[in-house]
Amino acid sequence: MNGLKFFVGNILPYIAFVVFLTGMTYRIYTWLKMSSPIITLYPVPKGSSTSAVIKEVLLFPSLFKTDKVFWGGAWIFHVMLVFIFIGHFRVVTDFPWLWNLLGMNKEAVDTMSMTSGGIAGLIIMITVIYLIFRRVGVQKVREISGFGDYIVMFLILAILLTGNAMRFFQHFDLSETRVYFAGLVAFTNPQMPANGLFVLHFFLAQMMIVFIPFSKILHLGGIFFTQTILKRG
Amino acid sequence: MTEYNNIKSKVVDSIKAMKKGPLPMRIYMETCVKCGTCAEVCPVYYGSNEKSLNPAERSDLIRRVYKKHSTISGKIFGGLVGAKDFDGDDIDKWAKEFYECTACRRCAVFCPMEIDNSVLTRKARTILDSIGKTPETLMRVIEVSLKTGNTDNAPPVALTEATSFMEEEILEETGVEVKMPVDEVGVDYFLVPPSGDVLVNPESMMGIAKVFHVTGDSWTLSSRAFDGANYGLFTGSDNDMKEDNKLYVEEAKRLKVKTMMMGECGHAHRIMKFIMEKNKWWGDLPFEISNILQYTAYHIQKGTFKFDKSLVPEPVTYHDPCNFGRSCGIIEEPRIIMRAACEDFREMYPNRGENWCCGGGGGLSAMDTIIDFRMNVSGKKKVEQVLATGAKYVASPCSNCKRQFMQLMEYHKLDIGTGGLHDLVNRSIILDGQKKSV
Ligand code: SF4
Ligand code: SF4
Repeated sequence: MNGLKFFVGNILPYIAFVVFLTGMTYRIYTWLKMSSPIITLYPVPKGSSTSAVIKEVLLFPSLFKTDKVFWGGAWIFHVMLVFIFIGHFRVVTDFPWLWNLLGMNKEAVDTMSMTSGGIAGLIIMITVIYLIFRRVGVQKVREISGFGDYIVMFLILAILLTGNAMRFFQHFDLSETRVYFAGLVAFTNPQMPANGLFVLHFFLAQMMIVFIPFSKILHLGGIFFTQTILKRG
Repeated sequence: MTEYNNIKSKVVDSIKAMKKGPLPMRIYMETCVKCGTCAEVCPVYYGSNEKSLNPAERSDLIRRVYKKHSTISGKIFGGLVGAKDFDGDDIDKWAKEFYECTACRRCAVFCPMEIDNSVLTRKARTILDSIGKTPETLMRVIEVSLKTGNTDNAPPVALTEATSFMEEEILEETGVEVKMPVDEVGVDYFLVPPSGDVLVNPESMMGIAKVFHVTGDSWTLSSRAFDGANYGLFTGSDNDMKEDNKLYVEEAKRLKVKTMMMGECGHAHRIMKFIMEKNKWWGDLPFEISNILQYTAYHIQKGTFKFDKSLVPEPVTYHDPCNFGRSCGIIEEPRIIMRAACEDFREMYPNRGENWCCGGGGGLSAMDTIIDFRMNVSGKKKVEQVLATGAKYVASPCSNCKRQFMQLMEYHKLDIGTGGLHDLVNRSIILDGQKKSV
């Protein structure tokens, strides 16, 4: 058990980091150097193609045109994901200069984090459950879904469940994780917080990070390239 | 057994090679999120909700093999991540299903990743072609076209006979002598129509002849090269496509024309302007490439022509051929022509870049072996769209669309006329000195 904990807390993070970084670098490098025939799709968007790609990535307008409910689910899911990702910066370290700048004291920051983070955690759960139901319930989606599509959804769901449980059912002390992550960065072999939920949450999150370059989550980088292929003037 | 192994290794090798690019080949293997949006917008899947017609599923036929042979996850986890080796028995499934996509690119318009499934369809057809599995009908069209320079197996005299017939028709109808020059050297425009517009539906060619008559620009047809149709695009054979194209570029050089003017044929225009010219197949060209729709629309806006719209009183609608619209961006010009030439022009919805395919794209229109599929499945949405406009005539500047429309109306017993754009121009343009129509 201790060996396993040591692996998850003190070895896997480095593996995940390296795998993610090399995997993504390799992908993006190969995409960048690959030539593409000119297969522009007309009419070309008004304005520059870069702004069209950014608009597509930020707002998903093409989904909006086809299926408003799905658009809502997918868009809110992704926005919350970004939100939660940013929120996790606080788990890793503190930003006293930012709070000073905003004129917030510790309590105010905690309250803000509790409400906004809590709401985001709940909303995203709803969207994930919707996305799972859609995948199972809608024929045209079900028939193209494989194990890989489901595992990603359930992995995310499990990460969210453990994360929300920590927030809502425990008092979680961020100073512990901050010390731990600082130790990881400094290679001082720190002790991972002993909280079982945290261990599970952290383990699953690392699995997901490892998956990104090898699974459909790769679309997080791919979209910039696929969009650019057809949006050239 | 060796035959089986040969096929298998050829297919697998071609798919493995996709790892080296070009970019769409590789990235389309890696980024589909299986959201089902393409199925929602695909004319074929709309016609029949079958798994095998789901665009992402069709593309997965390639993706599975790619994953098996070219990805780490596929090599380790196999079926769990959707990897599956190519089985020689799959070849008939491939041969059928990759000819059930009209390559219309509508999926690409709405896919959140902008994955263009038609690129993968064409790739699969390239592979099929390399193992002799191109549908026989299309193979024959290519053979004929490479031999005679046109897809109708017509000798040069067929063109001159047709043009004299058309000249007489126009004279009889209008009392004005309108010339249709053939093989003239040193003129401004070399017109490359689809052969169907010369041999089968001459009204569109007559409309074009009148347009040139009024503008006064010099032009010519070629008795060796009067069919822009080029089926290499559909069978996935770049070699055939190039071979077929060569004659046209040579002819344009021989005739010393300023502009090669493509006719009412979407894929022909796409190949000339967006594939041959852009990729510099034959180096820098001593002529420009344009299209008759742009030419006529330009002159309409300049006020060169006189029309009597009352000669086309019935409601008409316009179908954006996938190749003119989505693939070439010739979208507003046809509408300028429609509005000038007809009294009651009605848009169908959606239109322009989002228009639904007629159901005959990607070479399918020439395949009567799958006529029931084209009429009931791939063309289903189109019929509904046309009926919703209440139009009595569908104009579409593309031989493949026209054939599909004609058959759709016949098959479903609908009293709706079909034809090109210059057919309408032919009816309502008024020439100087023209006798009053009766
Ligand atoms: S719409 Fe695009 S991403 Fe979605 S399933 Fe189809 S090809 Fe894949
Ligand atoms: S190209 Fe057209 S027919 Fe083919 S999958 Fe896409 S939408 Fe369907």
